[in-house]
Amino acid sequence: MDLLDTTREAFRLLFSGDPALWGIVWVSLKVSVLALILAGPLAVVLGFLLAHIAFPGRRLLVILVQAFQSFPTVVVGLLLYLLLSRQGPLGALHLLFTQPAMILGQMVIAFPVLAAYTLTAVQGADPRAYETASSLGAGRVRAAMTTLWEVRFGVMAAVFVGFGRIVSEIGCSLMVGGNIAGLTRNIPTAIALETSKGEFAQGVALGIVLIVLALAVNVALAAVQGQGGMRRAWQP
Amino acid sequence: MAAVIEVNGLVKTWSGQPALRIPHLVLEAGASYVLSGDNGAGKSTLLRILAGLEPAHMERFAFEGESMQLDRLPALVRRQIGFVHQHPYMFRSSALTNVEYGLKVRGVKRNGRARLAHEALIWAGMEELANSPAQRLSGGEQQRVALARVKVLSPRVYLLDEPTANLDADGRRRVIELIAQLAAADKVVVIACHDLEMINLPGVVRLHLENGSLN
Repeated sequence: MDLLDTTREAFRLLFSGDPALWGIVWVSLKVSVLALILAGPLAVVLGFLLAHIAFPGRRLLVILVQAFQSFPTVVVGLLLYLLLSRQGPLGALHLLFTQPAMILGQMVIAFPVLAAYTLTAVQGADPRAYETASSLGAGRVRAAMTTLWEVRFGVMAAVFVGFGRIVSEIGCSLMVGGNIAGLTRNIPTAIALETSKGEFAQGVALGIVLIVLALAVNVALAAVQGQGGMRRAWQP
Repeated sequence: MAAVIEVNGLVKTWSGQPALRIPHLVLEAGASYVLSGDNGAGKSTLLRILAGLEPAHMERFAFEGESMQLDRLPALVRRQIGFVHQHPYMFRSSALTNVEYGLKVRGVKRNGRARLAHEALIWAGMEELANSPAQRLSGGEQQRVALARVKVLSPRVYLLDEPTANLDADGRRRVIELIAQLAAADKVVVIACHDLEMINLPGVVRLHLENGSLN
């Protein structure tokens, strides 16, 4: 099958609603979105606290959060594998090669990205935002929520970047998911493993979906950053 | 007149150096105070301390005769103290939503909130700009929205930090008119400024800060 035929077949699969192909896309989206939903709140809270409160060890924690953004996903997968495998300390949970294991892995990968981007967003917030909320009667949690709302475009950017990172990662999903058809096979594992078995058209079709997703995330990110507005000259 | 705020033995240090040392300060109901002093004399710091935004050592802080820890003010007392920053921060929303913020925090229902906020904006002469993005308003307009945002909460104490600084003549005149209206029988208004027109307002008590001490 030449490249043209492969591409034609890929588009046919995409537009005919091929259940196997769209099932893989569904697993990818479900796992990544759930990982973001579960890791997001805690990561945003940590990012806010690191930007807002001085405490012993804060600097070290900031460095760790920033460093863990580039932690190799395959190593995250390896560590989780060791934890979740039958002989591992969490082996009794029987999570290895399941979607929850993939979600857990993607949570670990997304967490530092979300926290670091939130940290940067809150550091960029006007310090008067929290103070103003506080002086108008808001308690600590409410003033914190108000500050996060003021930098909502930065927080949304954190979510988009986090999604972009986990939806395309392969190392961890492969290690703890196992690429089981209809269960843990997501877009990156399917492209990597099924193509080698001759499923070129499916690989190309999934590649197109992944590119569209990546572009959509980047377009959304650019739109959100545009919403933040141009940096204006400060006016008293 | 009854003391609303009474402070004894206030000391504020920056990097170990004393910046403010105020043995005794009483702010009475029905009085307006103008806090003057050179740049860096500690005017803003004193207001921020009284607003609970800045920690300081204090032998005693009393609100309406009741002693309490300033850094752990009960919410009910904290809500009786309104502070307006020299360059007020406007939330990324409309002027109306900005004025509604404190009411929302206090659990005022949507309809009541909108009505009260509208009234406050009318008081400040800002009703026509109620739905404008607050961050795009001019300095004078933002100052008036900030005054409305505090007035709508009816605090006992108004702490206003340099409210006329950097405003043009018209903006200054409007802000001074509004501040003059804030003073009432049961309120305390403390204004940090160098503005001679404000300092010479009828009936104001002048407090002068020099080298961290009050004269």
